[in-house]
Amino acid sequence: MRCFKSSQRIPRVSSSHAAVAGVWCPALWLAFLLLGWPPATGADQSAQSSPAQTPPPITLRFVSWKPDHPRVWDEAIALFTKAHPHISVVRELAPHSSTAYHDLLTQKLKNRDATVDVFFMDVIWVPEFAAAGWAHRLEDRFSPAMREEFLPATIEVGRYTDHLYGIPSRIDAGLLYYRADLLAQYGFAPPTTWDELARQAETIVAGEQRNNPTLRGYSAQFKQYEGLVCNMLEFIDGHGGSLLTADGTRSTLARSEALAAVRFVRDRVIGRLASRAALTYQEPESLSVFLQGHAVFHRNWPYAWELVNNRTRSTIVGQVGVMPLPGFTPGRTAAALGGWLYGISAYSQHADEAWALIEFLSTQVMQKKFAQEAGIAPSRWALFSDPDLLAAAPQLRNHLTVLRSATPRPRSPVYPAVSHLLQRYFSRALAIEDLDLAQEAAVTDAHIDRLLALTRTAP
Amino acid sequence: MIRMSQVKGRRDNLAAWTMVAPALLVTMIFALYPVLDSLWLSLHHIFVGIPKLGSPFVGLDNYLTLLRDPAAQQALLVTLAFVVLSTLLELACGLIIALVIHERFRGRGLVRAAILIPWAIPTVVASQLWRYIFNDQYGFANLLLFGNRVTDYIPWLAYPGIAFGIIVLADVWKTSSFAALLILAGLQVIPDDLYDAARVDGATIWQRFWHITLPLLKPALLLALLFRTMDAFRVFDLVFVMTQGGPGDATQVLQFYGYQTLFTEGRIGYGSAISVAVFLMILALSLVYLRAIGSSLLERRHT
Repeated sequence: MRCFKSSQRIPRVSSSHAAVAGVWCPALWLAFLLLGWPPATGADQSAQSSPAQTPPPITLRFVSWKPDHPRVWDEAIALFTKAHPHISVVRELAPHSSTAYHDLLTQKLKNRDATVDVFFMDVIWVPEFAAAGWAHRLEDRFSPAMREEFLPATIEVGRYTDHLYGIPSRIDAGLLYYRADLLAQYGFAPPTTWDELARQAETIVAGEQRNNPTLRGYSAQFKQYEGLVCNMLEFIDGHGGSLLTADGTRSTLARSEALAAVRFVRDRVIGRLASRAALTYQEPESLSVFLQGHAVFHRNWPYAWELVNNRTRSTIVGQVGVMPLPGFTPGRTAAALGGWLYGISAYSQHADEAWALIEFLSTQVMQKKFAQEAGIAPSRWALFSDPDLLAAAPQLRNHLTVLRSATPRPRSPVYPAVSHLLQRYFSRALAIEDLDLAQEAAVTDAHIDRLLALTRTAP
Repeated sequence: MIRMSQVKGRRDNLAAWTMVAPALLVTMIFALYPVLDSLWLSLHHIFVGIPKLGSPFVGLDNYLTLLRDPAAQQALLVTLAFVVLSTLLELACGLIIALVIHERFRGRGLVRAAILIPWAIPTVVASQLWRYIFNDQYGFANLLLFGNRVTDYIPWLAYPGIAFGIIVLADVWKTSSFAALLILAGLQVIPDDLYDAARVDGATIWQRFWHITLPLLKPALLLALLFRTMDAFRVFDLVFVMTQGGPGDATQVLQFYGYQTLFTEGRIGYGSAISVAVFLMILALSLVYLRAIGSSLLERRHT
């Protein structure tokens, strides 16, 4: 920590210094940060140049989910407060589950709680937060020049009706992880369609029967929760279907492509390719099956790569490949767009400091740190050509293409209600044996249409 | 004289009101106000995601929607099935437990304390325990039934019917001891001389149970029934932790549906209507029960 103190006496470091700094010495880290990080406002600038006028101490409250890698976040926040001694950051940890976090956060925002300054927004909440007036508009601070440094897809998810509400923290998409060792052993190339995947899995599972009797072909998330919508969207998308019409006004579950995709999952995935237990799996349970070597293929978000190759957690280190999820025709891929943005509460009394924090957390150096140490996919162009990072996280090579073609879930201020209808329909379709799929889909379509109509016909 | 007593009566009245005022105030603020506010909200359309909708007064429209909502109908069915099954099983188990711990035996104090443990565990913790017990890979239920034959392991919570049964089982495990406690209190007020007299007359143990214990336990049983039914109607944590309503809405109960509507979907009006509907059902049930209990208590006084 002495390293830090000395760095504070150095106001600026030349960029060539920063380039050779590496990531290990905190002092140089900080110098690097200062460079990549122009002061947000005039007030900030004067405060930095004349340390005599120390700004009054401020406490920022950051409502966050419980992180997978708490140490990395603690370090990141500590770096920020070192650079801004007058700002202290208090984190309020909410549940890990997106829905539980949403319910806690929106409860505070509904009550115009001024003790929330910074929060995470799931990409699906942006329309709701924007329409309800909970999130601060960021386009004046998040300048077009800054935005150009980010992948367009990661900026677009933060936009709703011409305003920007978030800056990307981790924007990612569903990926297919596969046991490269098993595929090679049976002479298979990574599958290009679901039918091929199913055939390969059946052969491998049959062949491994004696070595590994609990081996299944596939493991993914089919519990009745938000993740079910992502998984099913990928199957439907891969079949050429969609959840809504292109203009986003009508639900299209009863169309033949969507029905065929749901039928495929019901008849060929649940209880066959995947254990029926997948109906109770969210990300951690399904990943654990894969980490223990009980599945040939696994669908998950990019964060899983770090865990798959983590010796303390995984039994399949170095034996896994990763690729875009297949579709039902060769060449077609599918991925649900997911992830998190940083947002500032509309009721925050410290919007400037809050912006300083989220801007800091989104700098190139911090994104690299998060990518290397927490497996969080970066959203800045520059990092996708960073040789250190690509060597450590080869799944990022797919990231650019996957993100470009990833499909967002319906973007609507009533999405939470739409999602519940979708979850109910998909879960019933998969769990109840003799359900009339077409009729159930038509009923759900009608319900979703009515909800979507509400957002248009309001006076 | 008349005047004096009138003044005195008025003064007594005043004193009485002053004394109950704090309790009354607390009840008004924390019970009556939220109920009335929910009722008022339930008569409006309020959608957090669509502020331009405003909050128009729509009368009973939310309640009409509720009657036609298939998800709500499913939740009502599941809730009713849960209430009936869990309450009956809890009363039966509670009665057996109460009869056992009413007997005198060595270590009775310890057994009585041990039996209360499930009830003392927070429901959320108990729900996690049951979720682990029925885990498809490392759950105790599978280990117990199949040992090392891991290929036979059953994903219990993935079957709609079994998942529902497990929710009921977890509730019965947790709250039977509460029913037992109430029934035990009832057992302890039954005078021993009744049993002595029956024994002298040569009544068998079954006859004593059917003709003395059960009739005299009726008030305690009804009280336990009242508490358990009302509590079962409010089931939430078990579902929230174990299944989130799935698979396929098989464990979707009204309270969780109301929670989802209010807190996740932000449909304040409709969500309030669901809460008020649950409140009205519990109110109606408790009125019926209170009548039954009241009359049974009167019967006892007459005898």
